[in-house]
Amino acid sequence: MLKRALALCVLTAFSAGCAALGSLPRGSSLRLSEFVNEGDPARRASMRLTLNGLDEDAAGHFDQARASYEQALRVDPLNPYAYLALARHYAPGPYPERTESYLQQTEALLTAQDQLDDRARAHIVGLRGQALWTQGYSAEASSYLRQARHLAPGVWEDGRLDAAELR
Amino acid sequence: MGLLGRGSLLLTLLAFVLGFYLASSVAHLDRVVRERFAGQLFQVPSRVLSAPTILYPGLDWKHIDLPGVLARLGYREQSSAQVLTAGRFYWTRNSARIYLQAFEHPTRPEPERNVSFQLSGSRIEEIHDVSTGRELGAVLLEPELVGLYYGPNRKQQELVKIDKVPEHLADAVIAVEDQRFLDHHGIDPRRILGAFLANLRAGQIREGASTLTQQLVKNFFLTPERTYRRKIQEATMALIVEARYEKRAILEAYFNEVYMGRRGATAIHGMGEASRYYFGKPAAKLLVEESALLAAIIQGPNGLSPYRWPDRARERRNLVLDRMLGQGKIDAEQHARAIASELRLAHATHEPEDARYFLDLLRQQLPEVYTQEDLEGEGLRIHSTLDMRLQALASKSLREGLESLERKYPELVREDVTRQLQGCIIALRPQTGEVLALAGGRDYRDSQYNRCTQANRPAGSVFKPVAYLAALEPRGARAPVMTLADRLDDSPLEVPVAGEEPWRPENYDREYNGEVSLREALERSLNVATARLGLEIGAARIVNMAERLGIESRLPRVPSLPLGVADLTPLEVSRAYATLANGGVRPSIRTYEDVVQADSDANSLLRREIDFERTVEAGPVYLLTSLLEGVVDRGTGKGVRLAGLRGPIAGKTGTSDDLRDAWFAGFTPELVVVVWVGFDEPQSIGLPGSQAALPIWIQFLRGATGGQSRGAFLMPPGVTRLDIDPTTGARALASCPRKQPEYFLEGSEPKKTCPEWGGQPDAPGAADGFGGFLRRLFGGSKK
Repeated sequence: MLKRALALCVLTAFSAGCAALGSLPRGSSLRLSEFVNEGDPARRASMRLTLNGLDEDAAGHFDQARASYEQALRVDPLNPYAYLALARHYAPGPYPERTESYLQQTEALLTAQDQLDDRARAHIVGLRGQALWTQGYSAEASSYLRQARHLAPGVWEDGRLDAAELR
Repeated sequence: MGLLGRGSLLLTLLAFVLGFYLASSVAHLDRVVRERFAGQLFQVPSRVLSAPTILYPGLDWKHIDLPGVLARLGYREQSSAQVLTAGRFYWTRNSARIYLQAFEHPTRPEPERNVSFQLSGSRIEEIHDVSTGRELGAVLLEPELVGLYYGPNRKQQELVKIDKVPEHLADAVIAVEDQRFLDHHGIDPRRILGAFLANLRAGQIREGASTLTQQLVKNFFLTPERTYRRKIQEATMALIVEARYEKRAILEAYFNEVYMGRRGATAIHGMGEASRYYFGKPAAKLLVEESALLAAIIQGPNGLSPYRWPDRARERRNLVLDRMLGQGKIDAEQHARAIASELRLAHATHEPEDARYFLDLLRQQLPEVYTQEDLEGEGLRIHSTLDMRLQALASKSLREGLESLERKYPELVREDVTRQLQGCIIALRPQTGEVLALAGGRDYRDSQYNRCTQANRPAGSVFKPVAYLAALEPRGARAPVMTLADRLDDSPLEVPVAGEEPWRPENYDREYNGEVSLREALERSLNVATARLGLEIGAARIVNMAERLGIESRLPRVPSLPLGVADLTPLEVSRAYATLANGGVRPSIRTYEDVVQADSDANSLLRREIDFERTVEAGPVYLLTSLLEGVVDRGTGKGVRLAGLRGPIAGKTGTSDDLRDAWFAGFTPELVVVVWVGFDEPQSIGLPGSQAALPIWIQFLRGATGGQSRGAFLMPPGVTRLDIDPTTGARALASCPRKQPEYFLEGSEPKKTCPEWGGQPDAPGAADGFGGFLRRLFGGSKK
């Protein structure tokens, strides 16, 4: 009996901990600079190149930004955040249709690497919505953007993700 | 009319005819000159560049052979870090300083930059920008030359603009080749007279009197023959050129046309190319003594080659410097410093020959608007995806692998090079479809037939995974046809074929194995069991799966399809395996990023984007990958592990009927490599894939990864791992005497258990683990 009670306590504490982890503070959003020192040397270098790309994007140097992201993929083709940055790069146009495949790759890699949390999900659904919006599919876009606003209200209120907001 | 009158008329007529002839000749020459100058002045071959080398902290500089890369790029080592300029480096035991050269890139041009590297053994620890002290996350070395698309004359040129080269280059050339260039009108009568007298005194022709304009005209329009007629044409055209064009335009044309030596079989023309070749830098960066050396070489680029005849070259360079001083183009201090300077030459770089097969594939990928003539004459710069280190490794692995086979099996040797044992190796980055290396044969000079892209050969067992994947994939809401717990019958099989003898597949060892698991059937590459799997799922599903993986060749819908009777190119096979390595996302093959006009700062003319698409769900691909890992760990590809290669590796051997084609296709999470070995005219090589192709694959992968591949094949959601009884495929409960971990798509786990338990399956996770722990703790219903 004592053993069962003890086990129930452990389970309750475990559940409470899980729940606490699930309820992230509102407005806290995924920023790629958090990961710049994580992983092996190739991943770290790839993250630095990705951040360079975001800086270039923020400065309006779009071609240079894309080149940086592609170099990030050369160094570490398994870096999900480089794909996410590329998805963000394409979502506002002029080629928003390219966003989706980069998002799928981001999602697959984050999932496989056990890093797909709500903050990442917010950007994935948000960018999906933004790209659809750019392509003129406003009804579908709204649904995704609503989800994104729910998951990351501070970032997705305006229906777009700036390079500086992802950095 | 008197005799005098008739003679006068005749003379007038003769003068008229002669005048007409001369006038029409001059008009003709004028038209020739104008047409040439109005059109494209030079036929410049397009050059293909590699992907840039990226250096970052943590990188093993020995593994990527950084000194070799620097040497190929023409960087020169200095004895001190104090005097570094672009293109120079200084190396100590624990540090290095590299003054990176600027390079043009359509999207990310890099400025020159002095960078310091902190080294620890073979690792780069830190990178800093010397001028700012800022720590850098990564730096790029400029792309290497992969090759050029030559026209028939194999001429290599990098065009320069006259206002982009230093003034001292013009001064040096004028000083030694044509002192009165700025004053004469195409020909120099004073010089002609001087040369005439000098030759008269010598009793032989020792001195020429050609001006720069005449030299340009001779190279542009005329043949090298030495006749009076040609000399007159040359002088006339020189006058026309001078009358029509400015001195700077003439000098620019001369700078781009002048012959400056040879790189192997290729002629180097122009100051731009010469500057790259001799000094490893653009002409804009030439120093006075370097300009003087280039001017010195013009007289006889082969006899004055600073590589072969440094003393002769230095002597003439100093003569040029003396003349520049005499003409007031440099002061005494500049002169003294230049005279004292060494001939600091770049490493003599040779055009790599081993990437020609790749260049052919790249040309196929370019849209049709780029014709052969465009590539040979438009001077395009094409930024490719090729990794020069991996390319060299691929060529070496293939060549040495084939030579090793011939040494071990002399019956494979053919005296006729056109009938030699051949092979192909191709390496892709699976996520982006970028071709990193490709060697379509053992030597392009002997055979330009690209076996990676043009040879459709029976795929043998490298095709089997396609059939297994089709069997493991659920269709819509329906469960997959098979799971990894299912058993296959590997006993004699006879398949009726209309109007022909029945088809009786056999295993490689002609033995039968009774009931086997899917895993065992693929690991051991059992033909009969796989044939039964194919019959179970049907050819249509296999064809559908092959297409989704990226196979484009026509596939016969026959019972033997899963055994690899279809003829495929190694490139197709590599794309299909790339889709597997990429978790079911199929990439498009990419050989280049951008095409730009070389002599302009313009943006990209053409770009090939990264392109990929999910065509198979990640779950079934993961199950198949785990089978292919088993092939490498225990099966026909175990040579990989025996060779000491570590990390996540999956792959499959392949051997066609009568041992005509040997294959190995394999991948790590970041790299796909396919090797094929065989004869061009199909005949048996007497060896399976594991003996003929696998050793080449191993040599390449060891060099590419250093023996330890990076990353992991990560289990996607929707896949579970649980223990099964390997003899029956039943789920192994805690008390089952035989256990083997296996992977399943959620919902397709085996229903039977070992030992049998009331005929009902346990709840998921019942065998053991946390669920079992809870059940034991809370006294669950298990009896």
